[in-house]
Amino acid sequence: MRLFVSTLGKLRSRLATWLTLGLLILLMALIYLAVGATAKEAEARPNGAAVLLLLTFPGAYALILGFVLGLGGLFVLAYAAAIAGSEWSWGTLKTAVARGESRSRYMLTTYAGIALLAGIGLLIAFAVGVVVTFLAAKLAGVSTDGISDTSIFGNLPEQFLRGWFGLVEVGAVGFTIATLARSQLAGVGAGIGIYFAESFAGLFLPDIIKYLPFNAANALIASGSATGSPGGQSASRLDPNAALIVVLIWLVASLAVTAVFTERAEISG
Amino acid sequence: MATRGLQKHYGPRTALAGLDLSVPSGVVYGFLGPNGAGKTTTMRLLTGLIHPDGGTMELLGQPFGRRDRHRLFDVGALIESPAFYPYLSGRANLQALAASGAPTPKRRVEEVLELVGLRERGGDKVSNYSLGMKQRLGIAGALLNDPRLLLLDEPANGLDPAGIVAMRDTLRHLASTGKTVFISSHLLSEVSQLADMIGIIAAGKLIREGRIETLLSDEGRVRVRVAAHEVSTAVAALAPLGVAARVDGSDAGRPAGPASETGWLEVPIEPSRASEVNRILAAAGIYASGLESGSDLESLFLELTTAAPAPHSEGQIQAVPGNWQ
Repeated sequence: MRLFVSTLGKLRSRLATWLTLGLLILLMALIYLAVGATAKEAEARPNGAAVLLLLTFPGAYALILGFVLGLGGLFVLAYAAAIAGSEWSWGTLKTAVARGESRSRYMLTTYAGIALLAGIGLLIAFAVGVVVTFLAAKLAGVSTDGISDTSIFGNLPEQFLRGWFGLVEVGAVGFTIATLARSQLAGVGAGIGIYFAESFAGLFLPDIIKYLPFNAANALIASGSATGSPGGQSASRLDPNAALIVVLIWLVASLAVTAVFTERAEISG
Repeated sequence: MATRGLQKHYGPRTALAGLDLSVPSGVVYGFLGPNGAGKTTTMRLLTGLIHPDGGTMELLGQPFGRRDRHRLFDVGALIESPAFYPYLSGRANLQALAASGAPTPKRRVEEVLELVGLRERGGDKVSNYSLGMKQRLGIAGALLNDPRLLLLDEPANGLDPAGIVAMRDTLRHLASTGKTVFISSHLLSEVSQLADMIGIIAAGKLIREGRIETLLSDEGRVRVRVAAHEVSTAVAALAPLGVAARVDGSDAGRPAGPASETGWLEVPIEPSRASEVNRILAAAGIYASGLESGSDLESLFLELTTAAPAPHSEGQIQAVPGNWQ
């Protein structure tokens, strides 16, 4: 427990934690406010009315969640890779191991901290997303009466949990890649590479890529874009419950690889 | 602490080729060797960072293997350069470190910060620390669990003279309380002031180990000073010893001038035979104005490590007259 609490303290003090969340919120705010500001012109175009759905409650709740999870998946992956890679490149894992700490427990506890922060970040980003969407709706002159429609809330906790689970899975993939590479940069680069590789592969191998990390996580939420592989929308999707199993397998496999690799690794530098 | 036949290979390269170390409790042990001799590899093995290909290790009298990480709860280590989170303060780094491995009381963080003289700067980010401050913090981290065995790799790196003296006093104090201090260092003068025992390795093998004064005495030579014009007579007089006395050109720490003028001769025999040298010279009517026996650590180190086969590891700067080795 002391290791977990310490991990949270380290992550909380790290600039990357706030930068990741801040960047996600900033991008979301910019996009939603831009949509709000240009909604009038957009409405005049063919299919322009669809743009207004982004700002119309209560349907906007699911879209905000989808947006947060979509971009958030990529951000969590990069963040997790940066944390794992720095443990190797800064030599802090080495110092802990030399004190008799269990290698696998150290790394898995670090990831548990990342997973918890991903959940907190999801909640904060969603809350900010609601406020920004409300402002954008006002800007666009769209009614915000539906914001208090509680019928949608019954489904939200489950959607949150599923979305968070998807974030945890893609984060674990990034964390594992960075562990294998022992490098922040390699982890972030390879993780982002996988994200886009899945997108392109979706054009040719839709029946296979639906089992890959981003697409499986994307399928966890029936109506959202979840962790948002750009190819995911065109590819055939897994059933949300089947996706749950696939995501679980990716998560467990990633963390198992991290644990085994760390236990067996020769730590130097 | 002990190792028996410790072996480590990195691909085709042999880093350790059967290392046997014996470090008794309560001593300061200086671990010496040229670059690439296997010092850091030994340190990594002793802290479980890497795993041996052969041989055994003992820490604090108990076998130490892959499944014995708990033995490290009584060991403090600073391996290679100190490693910290640059965005955290020195204090926060020690607190984070205390959360791993051996359970450590919270007050211990302040104690070790005080010990290494960083209490005032404990709140500063490590990224703003100088090299010497990071080194002090690394030593503080090694002392965090009040270890019975301390493994320090080049602990004087980056320390200013006052820091070196303070570190030396701290380590001597720790040894006096029964703790064992194992230091790898390139600073031979530092080791000679600090260590009770030394082990010298080259090419992954121990080539000499023992109490420092015994080694220096056993491995040394006799140096004798005679009048400059008596040098050649003295060399001839010493011939019956069976070794060739030679003019000592090192002249370290002595008045400037060519060796032949100062009249120092080096006789390569056991230091215990110094009186014999003196007697032979006196019998020949030559009266020595100076007589020294034994060796200094630098001479001993160079003598032993240049005789050993070149390690198959890091590029070794070859012996060049008037240059480094």
